[in-house]
Amino acid sequence: MSIDPLKTVGHATPRIDALERVTGKATYTGDVKLPGMLYGRVLRSPHAHARIRSIDVSAALVMPGVKAILTHQNCQVVWGSGSIAGGVQYNDAIKKTTKQRRYAFNNPVRFMGEPVAAVAAVNRHVAEQALLRITVDYETLPFVLEPEDALKPEAPQIWPEGNLALNVRNEAQPIGVRRGDVDQGFRTADHVFEDRYTTAFVHNAQMEPRACVASWEGDELTVYTPTGGVANCRTDIARDLGLAPDKVRVICQYMGGNFGNKNQNQDADLIASMLARQAGAPVKLELSRKEDFIGMHGRWPTVQYYKVGVNNDGSLQAIQLRGYSGMGPYRKNSGAIGGIEVYHCPNIETIIHPVYTNKTVSGNFRGPEFPQGYYGIQSMMDDVAYKLKMDPVDFVLKNMVRRPSDQAEFTNYTLEECLRRGAESFEWKKRWKTQAGSDAGPIKRGAGMAFMAFRSGIGQSSAIIRVDANGKYTVYVGVTDVGAGAKTTMAVIAAEALETPLSNIDLVWGDTGRCPYSVGESGSRTTIMTGYAVVEAAHDLKRQIAQKGLPKGKDFHTASAAPNPRLPEGKVRNAFGAHFVEVEVDTELGHVRVTKYLAVHDCGRIMNRLSADGQIKGGAIMGIGMALHENLLYDRRSGLPLTAGYYGARVATHRDAPNVEVLFIESDDGYGPYGAKSMGEASKVPAVAAVANAVFNAIGRRMKDLPITRDKILGALA
Amino acid sequence: MSNNDTKDGVSRRKFLEGTGIALAAATTAPAIKAQNAETETPVPRTTISVTINNTTHRVEVEDRWTLVELLREHFGLTGTKIGCDRGECGACTVLLDGKAVYSCSHLAVWADGRGVETIEGLAQSGNLDPLQRAFIEHDAPQCGFCTSGQLMSAKALLNANPHPTADEVRAALAGNICRCSNYNHYVAAVLAASGAKGTAL
Repeated sequence: MSIDPLKTVGHATPRIDALERVTGKATYTGDVKLPGMLYGRVLRSPHAHARIRSIDVSAALVMPGVKAILTHQNCQVVWGSGSIAGGVQYNDAIKKTTKQRRYAFNNPVRFMGEPVAAVAAVNRHVAEQALLRITVDYETLPFVLEPEDALKPEAPQIWPEGNLALNVRNEAQPIGVRRGDVDQGFRTADHVFEDRYTTAFVHNAQMEPRACVASWEGDELTVYTPTGGVANCRTDIARDLGLAPDKVRVICQYMGGNFGNKNQNQDADLIASMLARQAGAPVKLELSRKEDFIGMHGRWPTVQYYKVGVNNDGSLQAIQLRGYSGMGPYRKNSGAIGGIEVYHCPNIETIIHPVYTNKTVSGNFRGPEFPQGYYGIQSMMDDVAYKLKMDPVDFVLKNMVRRPSDQAEFTNYTLEECLRRGAESFEWKKRWKTQAGSDAGPIKRGAGMAFMAFRSGIGQSSAIIRVDANGKYTVYVGVTDVGAGAKTTMAVIAAEALETPLSNIDLVWGDTGRCPYSVGESGSRTTIMTGYAVVEAAHDLKRQIAQKGLPKGKDFHTASAAPNPRLPEGKVRNAFGAHFVEVEVDTELGHVRVTKYLAVHDCGRIMNRLSADGQIKGGAIMGIGMALHENLLYDRRSGLPLTAGYYGARVATHRDAPNVEVLFIESDDGYGPYGAKSMGEASKVPAVAAVANAVFNAIGRRMKDLPITRDKILGALA
Repeated sequence: MSNNDTKDGVSRRKFLEGTGIALAAATTAPAIKAQNAETETPVPRTTISVTINNTTHRVEVEDRWTLVELLREHFGLTGTKIGCDRGECGACTVLLDGKAVYSCSHLAVWADGRGVETIEGLAQSGNLDPLQRAFIEHDAPQCGFCTSGQLMSAKALLNANPHPTADEVRAALAGNICRCSNYNHYVAAVLAASGAKGTAL
């Protein structure tokens, strides 16, 4: 499908704030300094599970320079979004009913790194010294680290209701879907295959650790904080602190990455606010890298048992998944395991257990339930294809989803085009080995692929645009640029809709005191939803100018829009893509090098080719890291994390990053701003599976446990 | 006292009603009094002479301060970022006598008599460094938090090797993590900048 080019949208546009970013002038939360500002530090649990018998803060309180101390005894603030009850957005109704509340300071503490006390002092050194003078008497409790272990009858109970996580109705139930009759499907299938795959806890590890500056003026609170969504963050802080939302202002001008780790509010926002209130002065709280690794959240580790029924012609007859997701001791997200929905199969059953453990908490991370789920199911299917002596691309073309259901259809469908064009451009037939592991010599090459579909729904957001007498436009949008370029995207969309040069647009962003509601930088939604609101506001403003002409003197014309568009009944909107990877495995050292990487994506119409490329490449390289290195390891005896940092968890570096080729198949289905669909998460979703499948094709051994580290490769080949 | 059950209603309600923090009397009896002294015992201090972006300063520093702490907290040069504060990520990279170092892993006193260059000093007399221009054109920063460090490592590389290969760029920048993983764009930008001329701010 080809689309007509537009004037400003769709070109390679450097960011409107690029100069600030390359000169050090961009103000991140840690750079904010207020008069009389104090510095906060948090004391964290050294145990995986313990009851606090007593806390003695008296020696810390008398230290000169110490201005405030919080513990569970004097701070009973509930952190609502810290355990959002079954993956549902925390709200006033859930606040009333949820049984398993997570406080800013909990007793018992349920994972190593959980906040126990917080201090505000005149500088960070005094605050750190004060932490050392707080005496905590712990009664250590038995702990459990692995989700399958946690469901055994003899396992330590992390909550009185048991270790199977409660849903929003306070029910301990697995989640899942059922279609057709899998037992019948397995009975009639020519072949039935079973296998087990596991994935590791990997941390978002965004470059900017969590930080917050909180300042009170009377009963009005201003919070500077890195957040993917200033509006949601304000609502959450207000709810947790019992304030009216209009008494809270959240400001985020620049932030150092999100990847799901900074959605909603975080406990650091609440702790800084409470310290500031007690001290009567502004407080800056910055988490250390280790605190960020263990005190925030990462991707939930999973255990996935698959059973697949397939006929001789390669057509799928039944898929069953029994899964276990390690949520840590609080259910900060659903714990779902995604990926089966991209296969067309008459009989499907998934039963997934979100399980409490005493590891650090799991939550949103770039495509929350998908990269780990796709790794499992698409490894499984790659294996099935291999066993049936089918080319995996042919197997996918035969079995991939073509309609969301019998009753519904996609707004547009390009999955087949993604696969065919990708396979051709990648020279799949040449690179994929019909006999896996067949290269002679110690260095073996192989190719793998994976495909994806990702939600691109439309929905509510808002924007305000005003124009002055000189025809200069100011766009007010509640977005923050988490790194994906939202500010520039909004300006580009406004320039297109207003038919004016980009340089004629000023943007006001990231401040609930100045901007209208925006949906927030989570779920790859900002371009679609807030971008559409910008278009609507621009059209209104153009109508006003056509009727009244430009304003005179110091007057403005102002237009606002808060559209809440809905897809017609029976329509589902998805982004599509396919990744093709070639690897080289040194079978003597176990080292994997990615030698070629092609990512093909339909993200609708591209708003900015430059930042779109970066989104796809970044997601793919992050996926390589998750496939090959990343892991937060725990000591089984102590229950303590061992690799809470960049070196230990081993995120990808310059030297791990291949050149990623990006091929966009652009489309305009008539929804979203000019047909834009989701992008930021989509690029990571198939990457892990594609790399894992390439490793199999190179060495002829199926790697069933992430990450695929050298020791595992050498072990598989031994 | 446990807050795992629901018996916490009283103190939380008190708080919600606007009494502020319901301090549990037992633990907080020694109320915080007005304090004058910053710390209990004097912290060792040393006066150093350090040249930062071509300006020489004599400054008394606490011996425990890191170089990045000196730059950010005491000179207000917040362009240098702290990503890990333990020598893992490279966000705090600055040039020390022309060599790229992690400023979180250098004590401020070690900079005595030496020259420090930071991101704020990269543009000379109103002209962007070719690296900065190339970073803009290639959309190298995504979130931007690692960008100062990437720029300073690249600067050190181009000072020593004006025409590096892509692999040499990757090797020189290997200590600068970008979690947005925009590595392709960073390498392309450094290659483009090598040998290029400056441009007006």
